[in-house]
Amino acid sequence: MTNYLKAFAAMIAGLLIGFAMTAVSLGLGRGFGALAAGPWTAWPRHGAADIDPYARAMLARTGEAPLGRDQGLAFIARADSSGATLDGRCAYRITDPAPAARYWTLAVATTSGTLIDNPARRYAFTSAEILRREGGGFAIDAAEEAHPGNWLPTRRGPFLLILRLYDTSLDTEVAPDPSTFPKIIKLGCA
Amino acid sequence: MKFLDRLLDVLPWLLATACVAGSVHIISVLLMPEVAPRSAFARLLAAARAAPTTQTGVAVLPPAAPGAEITPFEDPAFAEGVCLFDLSKGMMRVVADADPEDYLALSFHARTGRVFHAATDRSAIKGRIEVMVGDAGQIEALESQDEEAPPSQVRVTSPTKRGFVLIRSLAKRASDRDRAEQRLRLVTCETVAEPDS
Repeated sequence: MTNYLKAFAAMIAGLLIGFAMTAVSLGLGRGFGALAAGPWTAWPRHGAADIDPYARAMLARTGEAPLGRDQGLAFIARADSSGATLDGRCAYRITDPAPAARYWTLAVATTSGTLIDNPARRYAFTSAEILRREGGGFAIDAAEEAHPGNWLPTRRGPFLLILRLYDTSLDTEVAPDPSTFPKIIKLGCA
Repeated sequence: MKFLDRLLDVLPWLLATACVAGSVHIISVLLMPEVAPRSAFARLLAAARAAPTTQTGVAVLPPAAPGAEITPFEDPAFAEGVCLFDLSKGMMRVVADADPEDYLALSFHARTGRVFHAATDRSAIKGRIEVMVGDAGQIEALESQDEEAPPSQVRVTSPTKRGFVLIRSLAKRASDRDRAEQRLRLVTCETVAEPDS
């Protein structure tokens, strides 16, 4: 009789631990095969046929439709170039260079990937529309308060910067050179 | 000694628990794409039903707005459309004209999330993207019927019967959005009968 009870307890405990492991592992990160360059990280396999089961389960749960590997790459930054987590109370400047791509866009998003509401209805800049300095350099400010020039509105709390490169020649098999990616510099905090 | 005896006593049960936990973990991860209620396919299926559909079969999605995102982590600079396919009703042919000036991307997603084909206007052949989607049997039947595909046509096998084609058209400036949406409307998604084999 006690053996039946023990078997039952083992079964229940196993079920609970198994589901907990799944919940934790899917919540932890965005799967394997990450490509990092400074504060920026991309997951090229999310848009390829060789996507791993963890990434597939994670995407199914969040409802994301990734970019195809041959279309472009989405690099996400959770921290600035010094490694401090992006915080909506602070203002940041994102400066050139940007990796070679036909087009790129820089967007802000909440940590769950949704847009940040703002009266200017500005959620992203494309490489074709930003104001540039002479010579092609650029600076985009991500801040809660309006900034002159290229201003991406943020709000209080943690947020993400997403750099998407479309039709890029970037090789995903080798680690990219961080010096070819935009720097994220903290300007100051409220 | 007593402690060791106790340990040996519970060890099989601990191992059994670990085995059950491991199996449950692996099975739940593998089954997640099948059962997730808010997957990209489920979201786009609902959005496509609510969105206006062009005569050529493309459901034009409303522009992303805070609180009304269809899928998370989507680029707000794009105008987007979707074609849902169900291969049990026939194969799907997607045709788009590519303009070298503008970025147009088509990605082919299985219901369970795998991107099984992707194309941009760069991969167009003679200014045209033409993709025939079928399951393994349909593609085989098509190939046995005419060995040579029309030169501009790409044939791809979908791993699942149902899935969607996401069409992304870049609006380079906010004022370009209408033009970008117009390009979506020129894409054709049609269900074609599979050839008799």
